Amino acid sequence: MRSFSNANPRDMQQAAKLAQQARMEGRNAAFAGGGSDMLGLIKERIATPDVLVHLKGIQGANKVETKGGATVIGGQISLSDLSHNQVILKRYAVLAEAAGSVATPQIRNAGTLAGNVCQRPWCWYFRNGFPCFKAGGSQCFSFNGENQFHAIFGGGPSFIVHPSDTAVALMALDAKFRIVGPSGQRTLSAADFFTLPKQNAAKENALAYDEVLASVELPAAAAGQRSSYHKVLDRDAWTHAVVSTAVVLDMNGDTCRSARIVLGGVAPIPWRVPEAEKVLTGQRVTPELAARAAETALAGAQPLAKNAYKIPLTKEIVQRTVSAVARA
Amino acid sequence: MSKPRNKKSISRRKFIEGTGAALVAAAAVPTLDAQTPAAAKASGGGTSAVPRSTIRLKVNGAMHNIEVEDRWTLVEVLRDHLKLTGTKIGCDRGECGACTVHVDGNAVYSCSQLAVWMDGKSIQTVEGLEKNGKLDPLQQAFIDFDAPQCGFCTSGQLMAAKAVLNKNPRPTREEVRAGMAGNICRCSNYNLYVDATLAAAGVSAGMGSKTIIVDDAGATRVAPLKTLGRATPRIDTRLRVSGKASYTGDVSLPGMLYARVLRSPHPHAKIRKIDTSRAADLPGVKAIVTHENCNYVWGAGSIAGGRQYVEEMKKITKQRRYAFNNPVRYAGEPVAAVAAVDRHTAEEALQLISVDYEVLPFVLDQEEALKPGAPQIWPEGNISLDIRNEAKPMREARGNVEQGLRESDRVFESRYSTTFVHNAQMEPRGAVAQWEGDKLTIYTPTGGIANCRTDMARDLGIPEENVRVICQYMGGNFGNKNQNQDSDLITATLAKLAGAPVKLEYTRKEDFIGMHGRWPTTQYYKVGVKKDGTLHALEMRGFSGMGPYRKNSGSIGGIQLYKVPHVQYVVTPVYTNKTTGANFRGPEFPQGFFGAQSMMDEVAYQMGMDPVEFLVKNMTRKAEDEHEYTNYTLEECFRRGAEAFDWKKRWKAKPGSDTGSVKRGSGVAFLAFRAGLGRSAAWMDVDSQGRYKVHVGVTDVGGGAKTTMGLIAAEALGVPLSQVEVIWGDTSRCPYSVGESGSRTTIMTGYAVIQAARDLQKMIAEKGLPKGNDLLTAKADTNPSVPGGKVRNSFAAHFVEVEVDTAVGHVKVLKYVAVHDSGRIMNPLSATGQIKGAVIMGIGMALHEELHYDPRSGQALTAGYYGQRVATHMDAPDVEVIFIESDDGYGPFGAKSIGEAGKLPAVAAIGNAIFNATGKRMRDLPIRRQRLVEVRA
Ligand SMILES: Cc1cc2nc3c(=O)[nH]c(=O)nc-3n(C[C@H](O)[C@H](O)[C@H](O)COP(=O)(O)OP(=O)(O)OC[C@H]3O[C@@H](n4cnc5c(N)ncnc54)[C@H](O)[C@@H]3O)c2cc1C
Ligand code: SF4
Ligand code: FES
Ligand code: FES
Repeated sequence: MRSFSNANPRDMQQAAKLAQQARMEGRNAAFAGGGSDMLGLIKERIATPDVLVHLKGIQGANKVETKGGATVIGGQISLSDLSHNQVILKRYAVLAEAAGSVATPQIRNAGTLAGNVCQRPWCWYFRNGFPCFKAGGSQCFSFNGENQFHAIFGGGPSFIVHPSDTAVALMALDAKFRIVGPSGQRTLSAADFFTLPKQNAAKENALAYDEVLASVELPAAAAGQRSSYHKVLDRDAWTHAVVSTAVVLDMNGDTCRSARIVLGGVAPIPWRVPEAEKVLTGQRVTPELAARAAETALAGAQPLAKNAYKIPLTKEIVQRTVSAVARA
Repeated sequence: MSKPRNKKSISRRKFIEGTGAALVAAAAVPTLDAQTPAAAKASGGGTSAVPRSTIRLKVNGAMHNIEVEDRWTLVEVLRDHLKLTGTKIGCDRGECGACTVHVDGNAVYSCSQLAVWMDGKSIQTVEGLEKNGKLDPLQQAFIDFDAPQCGFCTSGQLMAAKAVLNKNPRPTREEVRAGMAGNICRCSNYNLYVDATLAAAGVSAGMGSKTIIVDDAGATRVAPLKTLGRATPRIDTRLRVSGKASYTGDVSLPGMLYARVLRSPHPHAKIRKIDTSRAADLPGVKAIVTHENCNYVWGAGSIAGGRQYVEEMKKITKQRRYAFNNPVRYAGEPVAAVAAVDRHTAEEALQLISVDYEVLPFVLDQEEALKPGAPQIWPEGNISLDIRNEAKPMREARGNVEQGLRESDRVFESRYSTTFVHNAQMEPRGAVAQWEGDKLTIYTPTGGIANCRTDMARDLGIPEENVRVICQYMGGNFGNKNQNQDSDLITATLAKLAGAPVKLEYTRKEDFIGMHGRWPTTQYYKVGVKKDGTLHALEMRGFSGMGPYRKNSGSIGGIQLYKVPHVQYVVTPVYTNKTTGANFRGPEFPQGFFGAQSMMDEVAYQMGMDPVEFLVKNMTRKAEDEHEYTNYTLEECFRRGAEAFDWKKRWKAKPGSDTGSVKRGSGVAFLAFRAGLGRSAAWMDVDSQGRYKVHVGVTDVGGGAKTTMGLIAAEALGVPLSQVEVIWGDTSRCPYSVGESGSRTTIMTGYAVIQAARDLQKMIAEKGLPKGNDLLTAKADTNPSVPGGKVRNSFAAHFVEVEVDTAVGHVKVLKYVAVHDSGRIMNPLSATGQIKGAVIMGIGMALHEELHYDPRSGQALTAGYYGQRVATHMDAPDVEVIFIESDDGYGPFGAKSIGEAGKLPAVAAIGNAIFNATGKRMRDLPIRRQRLVEVRA
């Protein structure tokens, strides 16, 4: 492995300052939570930090707290704790399910929520060291290459799909992202946190090099809120989603008061489909209606040469998940 | 295909492990370099410039204060520095599970944690499971169920299972599976790992699926024996479950250096110049080799026609493969190697080597490679030379196929294709080499120590007596760890140059791109049938993509399974710029059986016949329709299997007839597979106390060979197993053995063991037991053959039911029954694991696995367990095994081949079941989700 020094900050702000300081000294810094993604990137020399700022040891950064109706989740919570947390299981099942669907028990024990959300793309080219947009280069290899696992929405100039399972759930729960920088903090909505390649081709989110994702806040769950995450894998465990969907419905009997539907594995960000949500709003959720919502969700998809199969596949799981959540 | 490119100098970064992007390096690399201002400093290479920290670590209860480099991973500290080598590295990337340990009670991958992060934490490793010399009940259960095959994944499986039981003392089968989902077992002994875990929890006492042994009730029925035939735990499993078994990577010698290999990012390029001067200047670097100073021919790497065991052949081979080749012919081909004081310094040094390539055009697909104008990989063209150095396809014919097709009432045609899949054995290849004067000792994971030694001596040009090969334990083989490997030559040369022992460990990715896998094929069938469903003519044209070197025959097995008067087989082995295709569990069969048996399944449906009925009518009764078998139980395999499986009920007369999107269906496939006799040797000695030692050149790649040899010796001598010690895995102590490949160790080496026992008994009868410290020794070198031109085969029929969720393209295996005649079952415990594991491996090949190449850069994109989608616990159904025992009077007590057999029909059986469920014939492997969704659309 390339050499670097490890830093153990006291708190998030100090972590951010360490990154800032490194930059001023002409050195690269990177953050690590559980490291399950970061160490792979370093070993492949895709990430080349001189300073690795380790966040998981920060005291109190992994708590789940309820404030008023809202729930604040420390970014350093492990994915296994998150998937077993009683509050989350009860009110925000979609997030527990998404966290529980990540990789393997070992990765969920090590991996953090923040690290899961901020993990780099798993596009074959990027992971094999091709100098593409995501590596700071100026072309995309998948566009004319092997794109069976790539975006059908929002692509260009990079066509990655956002790899995180929990991100899809967080977007569906309308989470807010609390960001800490060297001189303060800011909060972004999910819609502003995740960014398309059009905005910045080398990145997946709005974090500056010296900002960390400290926690996420979930708004109070409506009384009739039910939710679920459905993930489609290429073998029965230990792969990223081929496609996925997070469905959050506020139900009154069998009528849907409001809906949030987000697709995973189809776009460079968790892809919310407001038109499909509208199809459900105020309606009795029948199988036919769920099918119509699914149809709407995929309208306008622009597949590349090898990934058109994602359209029928995603439709099917949206329909199934909407029906299942409505029925539950 | 890429255009030839002009000279370009590519950044250091691009050379590592072939990860570079050939096409565009010039354009984008400067940006990358700009991001890494510190890279140039190269971090000092094992010197004080490297940041270090002191940590407190509690490991298995003992406190350690250690100074670590910040970049060291936990597993590195455990293995290299605390010498706790029970924890293994299978991938170093969080994609295999072999490195699983507990940190403060939670299972994590120790390869994916930095040691500095562990400060103040409590670690438990496999070595900590044993308490006061007493095994944990889980370890004992692993022994009792013979859960470890090669054992390389075992410590990881144990730690994962332990974590499950700590949280949930009485889990269900599904909970155990889910809890162990993060632990790959490439031997795929998943069923038995789960069974053992449940047994340890007291939830169940037996196997989750049955194994039944019946005898063939015919003329070749087996007579019961004293020792053989009883479920016997392996003699060395205790070491495998306690982390004490020593694999090549666990060997550590005083003053040992570490080596790393630089690989070409280009699939085809001429090396104009290699500048190693900057690497040589890096403190800590001790030796560097390239094609310029290490130009040994690697004989076993490319032998015309795959005749790697024929010494004469090796001499006449025209197209030579060297330890380092120029031009390089596949992305990932070794270009240089460095030995340095530690692994990180060696890796840093690779960054400092610059290579000037003249990039050449390349071709990946075997049919493309035969088109006019295709890039030429060898001057003689892209058709691989045969044993006479002639560029000709392999041909076999019987009758007159054209006439046969004319005479047929109906003729059917289809094209099938299979992809490159990698062996992916759990333990990556590597070696430790040490010279004492002109004598070389090499520790290397090889299933054939004897052949490896011969090869090393020949390649290095030294006498065979000067080479000692040691392999005490090895983590799986599946065909790519017999003989010697380029890594052995490279390690030996570095050790010689550096004047110190050298250890080389391939990374998982290097293993995928630098070691051979299964050759991809395209297969064209024409089948002529008579009105009554009798096969009349069979034509197969095939193309095999061998990579740039011919390491195996490249044939495509399958059509010899049928009784048919007119046959023609033409297969062209073709050079391509992918990595080499060669031995992998039944080298030419899983892909050939998939094509041939899917094709026959098509024909059966077209003829309106039940596939079982069609096969029983048309399957082989004599080898090549000509030679008698020594025994024949194929019909019995079908009959028993159909009954146990309930074929009549599960099979759908109308394929795809289930309503709704979730559809069930069943498929069948079968096997006749070589179980020939052949040359091997064994020594046996006895001391004054009547204690026996049997010396055999086996290493036990996972099939249990050491134990089987002990059992055979005990049986032949008429003594209990405890009175026999087995000596293995060291050419200085063991005679010739063919090596654990081709499913022939039990038959061939076992035969020699019996002969040695008989000779020794005769000597004892004549002279009595030796006195004092003397030994009586018998040396047997046997080369039996089956008289009268008869052919020995193993037989099997597989039945599988799947449920396909067609709307989402998901396949679930509901029931799997595998009926095998492998002759006498020497040890039902390990025999069961061989079949179950092979079936699950076959299911993985059918549904998921592929080393996928980027057509534009020629690089492999899916190297690794994650990329190739190797089956996990969650993908492994319970497999039911039925053995029909027979004793044909040949081989040791009637044993026949077993190791490869289970995989061969599995791929076709799955494809046929998917057809029965969905009505869609899937003709290209793997039958992944995407394809199933696409055919429905
Ligand atoms: C074989 C394999 C399979 C996987 N499968 C899945 C899967 O199915 N689903 C899935 O979602 N993921 C998967 N992952 C990806 C990943 O390992 C996990 O998502 C994990 O949760 C990442 O968390 P971590 O804390 O270990 O992240 P780290 O490795 O520590 O960090 C990941 C990235 O996020 C950055 N980062 C970390 N924390 C912060 C922070 N607080 N603020 C800003 N940036 C930060 C790091 O710099 C790094 O770039 C897989 C990984 C592997 C190796
Ligand atoms: S999709 Fe993105 S990560 Fe993949 S090659 Fe294109 S730019 Fe790179
Ligand atoms: S070695 Fe750590 S997961 Fe494979
Ligand atoms: S026993 Fe699991 S990999 Fe060999």
